[in-house]
Amino acid sequence: MSNFTSLDTKELLLKVTSIPGPSGYEDEVLGEIENVMKDYSNECFRTPLGSLVCVKKGKGPKIGFFAHADQIAFLVTKIYEDGFIRLSGVGGWDPKVIASQKVWVHTKNGKLRGIVGFMPPHLQTTEEYKKVPDYDHLFVDVTMNPNWKEEILIGDLVTVDTKGFVNGDIVFAPALDNRASCVAIIKAAELLWRMNIDAEVYYVFSTQEEIGGSGARSATYISEIEYGIVIDVTHGDEDLPGFPKIKIGEGPTVVVGPVTNRKFVEHIKTVAGKYNIRTQVEAIPGRSGTDTEDVQFTRNGVKTSLVSIPLRYMHNPYEKVCVKDVEDTAKLLAFSAAELQ
Amino acid sequence: MLTFLRELTELKGPSGFEDDVREYIKSKIEGKVDEVFEDRMGNLIALKKGKTGGKKILLDAHMDEVGFMVTNINEDGTLSFAPLGGVDVRVILSKKVVVGKDVMGIIGYKAAHLQHGEDYARIPKYYELKIDIGASSKSEAEKKVAIGDPVSFTTEYEEVGDYIIAKALDDRGGCSLLMDLIDDGVDANCDVYFAFTVQEETGPKWPVILMEQLKADMVIAIETTTSGDDPELEKYLWSTHLGDGPAITFMHRGYVVSKEIFDKLVETAKESNIKFQYKMRTVGGTNARRYAMGGMPAGVVSIPARYIHSPISEIRKDDYENTFKLLKTFLESE
Repeated sequence: MSNFTSLDTKELLLKVTSIPGPSGYEDEVLGEIENVMKDYSNECFRTPLGSLVCVKKGKGPKIGFFAHADQIAFLVTKIYEDGFIRLSGVGGWDPKVIASQKVWVHTKNGKLRGIVGFMPPHLQTTEEYKKVPDYDHLFVDVTMNPNWKEEILIGDLVTVDTKGFVNGDIVFAPALDNRASCVAIIKAAELLWRMNIDAEVYYVFSTQEEIGGSGARSATYISEIEYGIVIDVTHGDEDLPGFPKIKIGEGPTVVVGPVTNRKFVEHIKTVAGKYNIRTQVEAIPGRSGTDTEDVQFTRNGVKTSLVSIPLRYMHNPYEKVCVKDVEDTAKLLAFSAAELQ
Repeated sequence: MLTFLRELTELKGPSGFEDDVREYIKSKIEGKVDEVFEDRMGNLIALKKGKTGGKKILLDAHMDEVGFMVTNINEDGTLSFAPLGGVDVRVILSKKVVVGKDVMGIIGYKAAHLQHGEDYARIPKYYELKIDIGASSKSEAEKKVAIGDPVSFTTEYEEVGDYIIAKALDDRGGCSLLMDLIDDGVDANCDVYFAFTVQEETGPKWPVILMEQLKADMVIAIETTTSGDDPELEKYLWSTHLGDGPAITFMHRGYVVSKEIFDKLVETAKESNIKFQYKMRTVGGTNARRYAMGGMPAGVVSIPARYIHSPISEIRKDDYENTFKLLKTFLESE
């Protein structure tokens, strides 16, 4: 059990990563999040682009927390007569990690089993032995479904079927980019619900970040916020030349750079110090590759900050985060809002 | 039929670490055969005496599966590893594995965002890959695992339509056939030895030991073999086709199957109207070669399978059933 709220972070992480929610198809996972969030909000609604917005009313400044809820997936691009299909990625996949995975093909009448087949070494020629897996050669075997011929259509979505698991304080699961951040917001909302604060808080679970469609922008427009904290994931435990190594287990990163507002970032750092929340510094001199820019340049502009959860193996069928980092992120969010006057 | 296949495939048993599989099989066949014994090397042998005796037939199915072994525990808590048997590095990226008895981890792979140019466009080497068990230091990892620990895939068994999806069908499929034959009761004249063997995937050598012990008159290696019947191979390159029944081998790497046994298997299938196919490629090897080298004529009968030597393979139930029928009919005619 978590030591500061009643919702178990590990269980939440496993739950929200178990529901497929590719860009444009986030309804089911957002429904699940709404079920939890309605206990901690005065109001929940959907934007025209499908993002979920939950509100804790207040009389003070308006602040929004943003996490995208979509994940990368595939589309069916070709169907062969004998029960095999080809794919193309929706979002930034590395095709090298999808051979020999189980997948779900999402048809209009439900999901069908598929497996990404791979030629056994016995049958490979010297040339095949050297091929780097790509969408031209990877294929999905759907022959096992008696009804594949009637059900599967070009354009159907395909998701990798991996199940998350916990190892001590570490969670390995699909789509932790960015469901880990969704969980951080849920935990923050739970914490704030018991607190008497000035700020009005908008919890935004947005759509279509992975394909650059940013459901976050319209949510920003609707909520008319003054402050916005975008929560996303960042590469943890990897050597990046010219940057300090961001470590998994040592707290969220607070981003400095032009996508963030310096005064607001200082506020967050002060809060982190006051409440003893461990954070790491991440310098982003250019574009952040997150929703932050979209939130920043909406209406009259928003004072933004970007907080990232260290994550390893980004965009792979198993990603990795530390539960403590998710909980620290939630605390940082909650107290950053609570300390706003 | 198919009573044991689920549990068999979900057991962990990379080459050299067949203990769980052996114990499981032993517990299920005891009392159903005339004799069960384990030899010095770990092979498990069951004898079902024939009505008249005299002639001895040995059925071989290997218990081991391809997997890995931990070769180093690194400073950052990750594990280096090497394959046990032939596993293409391209099928193992971002897979869940179990190290030793029950330590779960994944074979991690660097995020696409961080692979630059040439790195993105090449196949990684084994020594570059690490298993991540969530430990943050060498000392933390050492509390859970040790160098030399086996590593297995963790795919859950699943039946969909007429198909079975699982890890280790090569060759738990063969083990399962032997167990189903024992369960069903084989009514043969000859003595039948059911041999569940070790370490086929790392280079078959243990049949020699069995030959010394048993001196059988005839051997049939029961395998789960390749197919290649997918869009990546032209039809003429397929080795088998799922749904066409058991594959009877006339030749494979290093061995031309005893003509007498081959003909007998084919005749049995034809006479009893059992759907079968010839294995259409001669690639890959089996234990049959080692038996033959020791002077025991050996044949090979296989369940056709897709994607063997990977975390996830696939067979058809009707192929399994026809393989069972062929073997039972064959034994009962001897």
